[in-house]
Amino acid sequence: MSSVPQTVVRDEFEAVDLGSASHGDVARKLTIFERIYEMDSVRKFSILLLLMVAWEMYTRVSGVSELILPKFSDTAAALYSAVAGEQLLIMVWNSMTILVTGYAIGLAIATVLTTAATMTRFGSDVLSTLTAMLNPLPAIALLPMALLWFGLGSESIVFTLLHSVIWPVALNAHTGFMGVSETQRMVGRNYSLKGIVYVVKLLIPAAFPSILMGLKIGWAFAWRTLIAAELVFGGSISDTEGEQAGGLGWFVFANQMDMQIPHVFAGLFTVILVGVFVENIIFTNIEMRTVRRWGMQSS
Amino acid sequence: MNGGSSAVADNTAAAAVEPILDVDGVTLQYKTKEHLITATYRVDFKVYPADRFVLLGPSGCGKSTLLKGVAGYMTPVEGAMTLKGKVIKEPGPDRVMVFQEFDQLLPWKTVKQNITFALTNGGKCAKQSEAEDIAMHYINKVKLDRFEDTYPHMLSGGMKQRVAIARGMAMEPDVLLMDEPFAALDALTRLQMQEELLQLWEDTHFTVLFVTHSIEEALIVGSRILVLSPHPGQVKAELNAHQLSHESVGDPAFGELKAKIHNMLFADRILEDDLEGKGQQ
Repeated sequence: MSSVPQTVVRDEFEAVDLGSASHGDVARKLTIFERIYEMDSVRKFSILLLLMVAWEMYTRVSGVSELILPKFSDTAAALYSAVAGEQLLIMVWNSMTILVTGYAIGLAIATVLTTAATMTRFGSDVLSTLTAMLNPLPAIALLPMALLWFGLGSESIVFTLLHSVIWPVALNAHTGFMGVSETQRMVGRNYSLKGIVYVVKLLIPAAFPSILMGLKIGWAFAWRTLIAAELVFGGSISDTEGEQAGGLGWFVFANQMDMQIPHVFAGLFTVILVGVFVENIIFTNIEMRTVRRWGMQSS
Repeated sequence: MNGGSSAVADNTAAAAVEPILDVDGVTLQYKTKEHLITATYRVDFKVYPADRFVLLGPSGCGKSTLLKGVAGYMTPVEGAMTLKGKVIKEPGPDRVMVFQEFDQLLPWKTVKQNITFALTNGGKCAKQSEAEDIAMHYINKVKLDRFEDTYPHMLSGGMKQRVAIARGMAMEPDVLLMDEPFAALDALTRLQMQEELLQLWEDTHFTVLFVTHSIEEALIVGSRILVLSPHPGQVKAELNAHQLSHESVGDPAFGELKAKIHNMLFADRILEDDLEGKGQQ
């Protein structure tokens, strides 16, 4: 007796009329409430609102000292006055100037390194060795030496920023170029792309997801390094650039020294706000218009 | 003898028509990390205008390598390849390649931009507006109107290959090179694409060099078939298939030719098995 199942031969049939395939709504509009709840920003903003209320309630009910944790309302007021007095905005501007300088020089050096790494085996070895060695070193750890080499000034901060920008940008760009598919390279050469035109019109867009990733990481490292460096000696900039000078990190540090705790929190908020603005608005926008639109990066 | 190679015009004396592409005693080699591989050994063939010339063989017969050689991505170690009398030295827009891989379309460019990119960079059009007109013409030809502003990642596999074919045809190359362009498609889409390619060919009788490992596809698409043996690729036969198409799939003639090629490729394997058997004794 065989236990293998046998084919069961059945009658054939063909559908004469498929009729209308309706089963309830094919497409139903969501209610207004459902649509609002679907919006990411609305959900996230309501969490923020909840946190603010919790903070305010806690400080009012528990009677915790103003010097340990100021009320949310006081912090908001301090933020408003610091912005209205223009002193905070100038400090943000100072920070951004140093940051952009360091970022730009860092990108230029990263470009040179990436070019060397992409064109020669030696350059590639140099880049991967340097990156492996220097990437685990937090940029801020270089500040003491930078102060010795360049003195108390924005040059020292720019130097530490370079370190936080160069490695992630160069490494990611190099990885991106190496990862451009052989087919796309052949397509480029098929249409007579050569030299710098080949790089600009084919390699850079094809490697753009990686390049953008490097730019984002470089920015994030640089922003954190900058604030940390300013906490250490940001005030000294005022010696060379006038009374109101100094960066955002210095605003936090100086106010802590003066026991202006609501202002300290206001400064921290500003650090967050600038970070969120650049990372979630500027970079996300670039992403939406490029790699996501092109389907080169999902989610 | 290349007597019947001008597939459509059998009555024309072949001597009067010059071949477009002449591959003469070509040996191609490439290196992997551990080996130097001889992909093809002294391969000869001539492609005439309006040919749908198919390179057919099992994997390892060097047919794709041969196509890359014609495209200019590889230089032969022996023999010569000439296009319209000129030796092929590097890739160029006079030989446009359609690949099997879907990523041959540039993902950061729309359907239309992919074609205009080729036209302007390949030196076909100086003006952008002119390139756009040509692009739209070919987009319509491959039935992708309304998709001209779509990015490739939104298209199905078959649509992507149609764009690649449109881009290749828009360049009006001397030879359109196709490297298993339908191999990554599902069976139904593949049938449809083969038919559409033949319809496009009917319009302008462009010259195609087509690589496949499917005997059936070779018979349907090709007008002349070069059968290659594997390890390394050597010419086994050159056969006519211009009389066959989709309609003749059930015909005895189709089956006979299919069986003939099958035997050619299959006999090899039996022979190899024999030799191995004798070697062991």
